[in-house]
Amino acid sequence: MRIFNFHLMPYTGLPDDYDGPAWITCPNEFFDPALGNKLYNRYLDELVYSEELGFDGVCVNEHHQNAYGIMPSPNLMASILARQTKRMKIAVVGNALPLYNPPTRVAEEFAMIDNISGGRLIAGFVVGGGPEYYSFSINPAHARERFQEAHDIIIKAWTEPGPTEFMGKHYQLRFLNTWPKPVQKPHPEVWIPGAGSLETMDFVAQKRYAYMGIPYFHIDFFDRTFGMFREACERAGYEPDPLQSGWLVPIYVAETDELARQQYEEHFWYFVKRLLPGINISPPGYTSLRSIENILKGFGMWVSSVKTWEEVVDGQYAIVGSPATVLEKLEASVERLGVGNLLGLFQLATLPADLTRNSTELFSREVMPRLRERFGTDAALAVKEAV
Amino acid sequence: MTTTAVSLGTIETRVGSVELRRGGTGQPIVYLHSAAGEGLGLGFLDDLAQYGEVLAPIFPGFGESEGIEQIDDIEDAVFHLLDLFDRLGLDSPAVVGLSLGGWMAAELACRYPDRVSRLVLVNPAGLYVPGANIHDIFGRTPREMAADLFADQSNPIAQMMLQMDKLVTEGGVGSITFDMIKPQIKAMTASARLGWNPYLHNPKLQGRLWRVTARTLVINGEKDGLIPSAHGETYAREIAGAKLVTMTDVAHMIPLEKPGELAQVTGEFVGN
Repeated sequence: MRIFNFHLMPYTGLPDDYDGPAWITCPNEFFDPALGNKLYNRYLDELVYSEELGFDGVCVNEHHQNAYGIMPSPNLMASILARQTKRMKIAVVGNALPLYNPPTRVAEEFAMIDNISGGRLIAGFVVGGGPEYYSFSINPAHARERFQEAHDIIIKAWTEPGPTEFMGKHYQLRFLNTWPKPVQKPHPEVWIPGAGSLETMDFVAQKRYAYMGIPYFHIDFFDRTFGMFREACERAGYEPDPLQSGWLVPIYVAETDELARQQYEEHFWYFVKRLLPGINISPPGYTSLRSIENILKGFGMWVSSVKTWEEVVDGQYAIVGSPATVLEKLEASVERLGVGNLLGLFQLATLPADLTRNSTELFSREVMPRLRERFGTDAALAVKEAV
Repeated sequence: MTTTAVSLGTIETRVGSVELRRGGTGQPIVYLHSAAGEGLGLGFLDDLAQYGEVLAPIFPGFGESEGIEQIDDIEDAVFHLLDLFDRLGLDSPAVVGLSLGGWMAAELACRYPDRVSRLVLVNPAGLYVPGANIHDIFGRTPREMAADLFADQSNPIAQMMLQMDKLVTEGGVGSITFDMIKPQIKAMTASARLGWNPYLHNPKLQGRLWRVTARTLVINGEKDGLIPSAHGETYAREIAGAKLVTMTDVAHMIPLEKPGELAQVTGEFVGN
C-alpha cells in the first residue's frame, strides 16, 4: 500500500460572527494576506516534512473562491514541492479540467511538474466541485462533455507525436504539440475522484486509472462505493489492483485516546460547521438525473448530517485516538475497503501547527510501519493502457 | 366566461418527441413557457383558447419532452422552434412567451421576422440591462424564489414552494424524495443549458431587436421580483411600435397569478 499526506490548505481566519457559506459568496474581505503568507508557508512546510517522515507522497487539490481550501492553483504548490522534495510522489488531485481553456494548459503544467520532480507526479483529473461552476460561470450542463474532451486532449498531447490536432465539440485545437512532455511513460499515473456515479467508475475502470472516493462519508458508504468500483473493473474484464483505489480520511493521533479527542474535536467541528457549508451545492446539469437519485440516498451518510462525536467515531468520519487505536481502526478499514492508497488529512481546519506536527510524527513513527508490515510497500502502480 | 379545454398530446420533432398542449380554434397562438416549465393544469391556456387556437409546446428537457442533449444554446432553441412551427404548419403565428419563453420568442422574431405575426413578451428575459440584474434562479431556496415570483404568497404554487422549503429547513435534504424534485431539476437543467452563462441573456439580442416586424406587446408584472421592469421597458423601446403595459398586483408568474386578465389582454392584442 501507499500512504499519502493530503492537505486542503484551509483558511483559518473567518470572523467568529460569520455563519454564512464558506464557498462562492464568502466575502473575500475576510481574507487577510498577512495570515495567507503564514498559512501557505506553514502548509508547504508540513507537506515537505512528510518526506522526512517517510510518507509515500503528498496530495494537493484545486478549489476556487472559498475558505475551505485556499488552493485555486494546486500546480503552483506542486511545483514548489517538486523542487523541495526528492523522493515522494506528488499527487495533484486534481486539476478541474473543464475550468481550463484550452485544457492543453493542464498537459503543459503537469508535464512541467513531472520534469522538475523527475517523474514523481500523479496526475489527478476532476470535473470540479459544484461551487466551481458558480465561481467560474462555466456551464455545468456541459461539465461532463468538457471533462471528457479535455481528458482526451491531455492524453493525446502526452502520448501521440505532435504536432497533431484535436477537433471536438467544445475544443478545437489545430496545432496540438505540447512542450514539455512528461518523464513518465506512457504518461503519469492518473487518479480520478468520484462520488459514486456509475459513469465515472466505468470510465476509470476501462482506462485502468485509480478511483479516489470523495471524502467525508460514513465508512459504509465507502464500502459500497469501492465495491461498485471493483464491479466496474470486473465488467471491464479484470481484477483491480488495490492501488487503483484510495480512501481519503481525516486522521489525528495523540498520546492517548482522551487527549486526542480533547485536542482535535473543536477543529473537526470548525471544519464541519464553518468550512463545509456551501460545498454541496449542485448546479443544474452538473449531475445526471440517475446520479442525483443515488447522491440523495447518500446524504444521510455524509458528515454534515452528523451531530455527535459518537457518530463521528462510529461512522469513521475521522480516525482519532492513540497510536494503537488509530492503527487498529485503519487496519480494519483498509482491509474492509480493499484500498491500496490511504490518503490521510493530517491537518484539518484550525488544527494548529504544533498539534498537526505531533500527530503526523506519531502516525509516521507508530502507525505507518505497522500498516506497511500488514499491507506491504507497493512502490507504484504501473500505468497500463486499456486493451 | 366559457372555457375551451386545452388537451395534452405529443409531436415528433428533429430532436425527439415533445409534449404539446393544444385547444381552441381560429388564429394560432403559440405559448412558450418560462424556466419553471409551467404547463400542467395551466388555466391560462384554457382562457387564452377563447381567442384562437392555442399551441403550447413543452420545451425539450422540461416535462417529458425529449432532446435537450441536442440543444446547447439559444440559437439551437430557435432552430427547434422553427422545426416545430414547420411540423405544425404554422406559417406566422402569434407568439406569446413568459420570461425564458419571452427570450426565445424575441430571438425568433428578430432572426425570422416573417415567422411571427404578433409578439407578446411577458416579463421577458434575454437582455442585460446595466444596474438591473435578473435575480438568480440557479442557486436560491424555494422560499426566496417564491417571494420573487408571486405577488401573493397564498397562491397555490407559491404555497407548494414554501412547503418544499420548510421540508428542507426542518428535515434536511434527506427529507426530500427524488420524485418531489425531479420536475424542478429537469427544468433547471434545461434552463442552465440555455442561460447559465451569459446569464439568461444574449449580449447580441438588444442590437438585433430593430429587425422585429411583428406588432409587439410587452407586459411587465408590477411586482416582478425576478426581472426588473427595465427589461420590459428596453424591449418596448428597441422594438419599433411596441406597446408596454404594466399589470398591477402581479409579480413574475402572471399566467398563474391572473390567468383570466392576462388571457384577455393577450387575446385582444393578437386578435387585432
